[in-house]
Amino acid sequence: MQLIGTSRTRAGRYGWLAAALCMAGVLNTASAAEPVSMQYPIAPQGSYKGLDVQQPIEFPHDIHTAVNKINCLYCHTYARQSKVAGIPPTSKCMGCHSVIATDKPRIQKLTEYWTNKQPIPWLKVHDVPDFVHFTHERHLKRFIFDNPEVMNNLSVDTVAPVCAMCHGDMRAKTVARKDKPMTMGWCVSCHEKNGGPGDCWKCHK
Amino acid sequence: MELTMINLKLKRREFLQLMGWGTAGATLAGCDLPTTVTLEEGKEEVVAYLSPEEYAIPGVGVWYASTCAQCAAGCGIHGRVREGRVLKLEGNPDSPINHGKLCQMGQAGVQNHYNPDRYTSPKLRRDGALVDITWDEAWKLIEEKTGAAANLGAGRLAWVTGTLSGHQAALMAAHIEAVNGKHYGHEVITPAVWQAVNKDLFGEAMPRLHLSKAKLALSFGADFLGTWLSPVHFSTEYAQFRKAPRGILIQVEPAMSLTGANADLWLAIRPGTEGALALGLAYMLAQNGVAAPDALQGVIGDYAPSKVAGITGVSEARITQLAELLRKHAPSLVLPGYTAQGQAQGYETTAAIMLLNVMLGNVGQTITSGGEFPFPQLAAKSGNTRDLIAFADAAHNKAHDVVFFYGVNPVFTAPAALNLADRLKNIPFKVAFTQFPDETAAQCDLIMPVASYLEDWGTHAPAYQPDGVIGLQQPLMETLYPGTPGLGDALLTLLKARDAGKYGAWNNYYGYLKQAVTSLPAQYRSAGQSDEAFWQSVLQKGQLKVEVKSGALQAKPLSGFNLSAPATGGDYPLTLIPSPRLSFWDGRHANLPWIQEAPDQITKVVWDSWAEIHPATAARLGVEEGDVLEIASEQGAIKVKAFIHKGVHPDAIAVPMGQGHDDYGRYARNRGANPLRILNPVTDAKTGELALYGTRVKATPTGERQMLVKAGRDNISQRGRKLAATISAEQFRRTEGV
Amino acid sequence: MSLKNLVTDWSRYRQGIEEGGFQHYEHRWGMTIDLNACIGCNACSTACYAENNLAVVGKERFAKGHFMHWMRVERYWDENYAEQQHPEQGASFLPMLCQQCGAAPCEPVCPVVATYHTPDGLNAQVYNRCIGSRYCNNNCPYRVRYFNFWSYYESSWPEPLNLQLNPDLTVRDKGVMEKCTFCVQRIRVAKDQAKMENRKVRDGEFTTACAQACPASAITFGDLMDQDSAVTKLWARHEVARHDDKGRPVQEQHKEHPELRGYRVLEELNTDPSVMYLERVREELA
Repeated sequence: MQLIGTSRTRAGRYGWLAAALCMAGVLNTASAAEPVSMQYPIAPQGSYKGLDVQQPIEFPHDIHTAVNKINCLYCHTYARQSKVAGIPPTSKCMGCHSVIATDKPRIQKLTEYWTNKQPIPWLKVHDVPDFVHFTHERHLKRFIFDNPEVMNNLSVDTVAPVCAMCHGDMRAKTVARKDKPMTMGWCVSCHEKNGGPGDCWKCHK
Repeated sequence: MELTMINLKLKRREFLQLMGWGTAGATLAGCDLPTTVTLEEGKEEVVAYLSPEEYAIPGVGVWYASTCAQCAAGCGIHGRVREGRVLKLEGNPDSPINHGKLCQMGQAGVQNHYNPDRYTSPKLRRDGALVDITWDEAWKLIEEKTGAAANLGAGRLAWVTGTLSGHQAALMAAHIEAVNGKHYGHEVITPAVWQAVNKDLFGEAMPRLHLSKAKLALSFGADFLGTWLSPVHFSTEYAQFRKAPRGILIQVEPAMSLTGANADLWLAIRPGTEGALALGLAYMLAQNGVAAPDALQGVIGDYAPSKVAGITGVSEARITQLAELLRKHAPSLVLPGYTAQGQAQGYETTAAIMLLNVMLGNVGQTITSGGEFPFPQLAAKSGNTRDLIAFADAAHNKAHDVVFFYGVNPVFTAPAALNLADRLKNIPFKVAFTQFPDETAAQCDLIMPVASYLEDWGTHAPAYQPDGVIGLQQPLMETLYPGTPGLGDALLTLLKARDAGKYGAWNNYYGYLKQAVTSLPAQYRSAGQSDEAFWQSVLQKGQLKVEVKSGALQAKPLSGFNLSAPATGGDYPLTLIPSPRLSFWDGRHANLPWIQEAPDQITKVVWDSWAEIHPATAARLGVEEGDVLEIASEQGAIKVKAFIHKGVHPDAIAVPMGQGHDDYGRYARNRGANPLRILNPVTDAKTGELALYGTRVKATPTGERQMLVKAGRDNISQRGRKLAATISAEQFRRTEGV
Repeated sequence: MSLKNLVTDWSRYRQGIEEGGFQHYEHRWGMTIDLNACIGCNACSTACYAENNLAVVGKERFAKGHFMHWMRVERYWDENYAEQQHPEQGASFLPMLCQQCGAAPCEPVCPVVATYHTPDGLNAQVYNRCIGSRYCNNNCPYRVRYFNFWSYYESSWPEPLNLQLNPDLTVRDKGVMEKCTFCVQRIRVAKDQAKMENRKVRDGEFTTACAQACPASAITFGDLMDQDSAVTKLWARHEVARHDDKGRPVQEQHKEHPELRGYRVLEELNTDPSVMYLERVREELA
């Protein structure tokens, strides 16, 4: 971690990528159980103990990702084309759950929302203040789509650690819980290391 | 798992498909407003869709095409929609009317839609007070009074509306026919007199004007940049007109309009004498060998410059100069504005002005045939003031049992002399299809809230067509108040109540409109295009270009004139100019906060009315800016603060139209004064139109003084600094290389 | 962080002048307003209200000067107005907005670096950093900075008017200075989109709300670093430069053809504005 972090101080914008590529062979063999920080050593710095949020349905991220290996971006598909990652529409849930696990109480509750044509009132867990412009689209391009390390070996186990930089490892959680402080200093700690923009107006609106 | 980058570039697709989101409340609950303050987890809902279209992406704006309904010009618009809310309107670049541009009234359209003073549910007047009733009760009541079983006699039901066009006009005609009723179309800002002259002179009411091709435009008060015909269209034309070698604009009017403020030469003319000046110019042109049309031959002899200067207050030298400029700069364009039309001799005045075009050979050059709109049933039924008078008379004579109002506020726009509010008491059942609590709704028995134009379906074929087009209006979001019908839906419901067999096939106006559009002749679609694909393409473009057959425009002979000079002096020494503004319009936009806060273009006054008077008049009255004047005609008086201004003739006093509402929501109520109230009920003899600019008044200071709130209080002189610098046209042409 | 930016951007600016250009800037947003086309209709101003969540303050506060119109249209009469019987040449309209000065007087006086120079050459205002000292406003020769003397959220956007608010920028609260941003939220979207597609921002791909609305197309907006952009061509055509050929800022524009219409308002103050005006034209018919 320290090695790569310090080696790129003058390496320019994509220096970290070159360094990471050297390790790609090793990293690709890493199992999902390994700590996130080993693979993505340049995540923003800081920790936070979030609240437990009572969602309308206790959505098990762990079952979908760690067990069933569904890619984060399969459901949070807006993240690649919008500033917000969005909640998947109910129709996407029903794509599988009209046949899978229909006997489970959580799925029955989901089906009830669907039948009544009611959007599920999910509660927001991760948010930035209104004076902040944050875009998933650009971050995903930088850390996933322009990142051969992920793209050459696309799976939930290469994508989830990227998401984990800000959201914590969702493979180990049921409903989302805020694990990172999401403060300006925290954002900047990553921007400085990864050559992200340092202009106030890039993020402040 | 596939992770290809999808970058959807879809825009402006059919909106109705988006309506699978669930209720509006659920959609809006978690919407991304820039004012949410909590960052705490679990406190706020997220936008969660049920089954959205693939192009509906949270956080990304989608643009839909529609048509503006803030005035009757029918500009094409694009609306930006995010998370189910319409946020911003822009012009549609493909529209031949506005070419992607939009005026401030159009920009403020979102405030009409989101206005906090909208009616949200139907209300019935019981013992003088309005009580809430359900939509079912409201429609049932209307059906009782107007349905097949109601046994309405011929002419007993009347509709009073503003300008209508498109399929709403067609359905309106169908309903009028079904109930054997009567339709009154009323607009106070109307070129009706000009249209009547055109009809007689050219055989068509709305010829096409080519400002961009003119080398000189002489406008008798035609505020084509602000309030005349199609302001945004003429603004785009004006931009071309002013490009090198640059046309000359001369404006002659009693009070400076926005167009006047942009003129190379602005001349103040004594109100009501525009016709005399036109004839004086014809005299001078004839003197210089330009052949006068037959209609003018026997008339112009009386209009030598010396006499005309006496009548109009425009100097002899100026008259000679104008005639010379007109002769030298061909083709030109001579336009009559509302101040020229709205007089007791409005027809003659307008005709004299239009005949100058004939004399100067502009017909066929800068004035060409507007052609024949291929779908007469969809063509605009323009409102006027003659219908207002006819309606007031009908109410007086108890000619109607039921009246429906839509898109019109005649109790506000009618002169007090017509006594409309009282006369309405003669009609037993009055229904206001309205968004807002306005003066007319206050007299009605049943209030039916309607959808805003951003929630409604429709088509528009504006009266002034620079190029044949039908504008399509589609909802940009779900209705804020469930149940509120648009005009089309209301008419369809009414028609079903009369003839279920014929109209029962359509569930709603959307279905009707879709079928109507897709059954247009095959020439309007590309070969082999399916109905659905054609409909989608029309929705995406927001308009349908139609072929307008037009021939050569020929001037016909016109019968003679009997122009007499208007009265001067007397007990009422001033002429009242109720000036229309590109903001309040006829008063319908006075409830939009952006419009109230936008400084008036000329006076820079905000949130108020004012009376423009010339310093000479002010000195005579002994008043300064802010002194409250009582302006009295034979019909009544209003109180307005004085604004001392040199852009007004000393014999005129100009008060903006559109303020002085008794009842039009929090932003408009009890603000300023309504000059239309005190107009004399004088009409133009030939057309029956109200002479809006023919009322003589007197102004007396009340002794009270209030501050007139203005933007840029000191913006009179630039004090020698180079802020808004000016160069001569000669230099401009030299540097532009022409 | 911001202090560093300020120092960096100012030294870049000075260095750029000395080197005779601004090549290291990626963008340099600029505008041209043609007073020959401008009709003073106010469409730009209302479009700005709609786009930028500008508060409506009401008559009483307007009278105290608390108005918020980032884009305003000033109206002047002729210099000899006092002697005239009537203003025979009409009015002079001047759309006035933040000139996005290269050497902005507002920037160095901010005690908390809430206003600073961006690498795109804009005068930025970071609302959540602003403490409301109003020094910047005092120092602005164009009077285009507007202060929130009150919290307008309740009064300006009663429900459901608040649904119109643009989520791409905040609603500013009491005690904060605000100003025209050249629609930075649109710039941000265009730049992000270009980066997503690995290309440069194209001229005409987006424009500011005022330029888009203008019925007479008097306003041209674009990137002065893009040699092919419409706005750059206009600046070149009218021989208005942001510095002279020795790389020094211009005290007064020395043009080869001084008759050309381009000028910048209060240029003599050496603020290096990013807005060029083209002179109004009148036929001399006296």
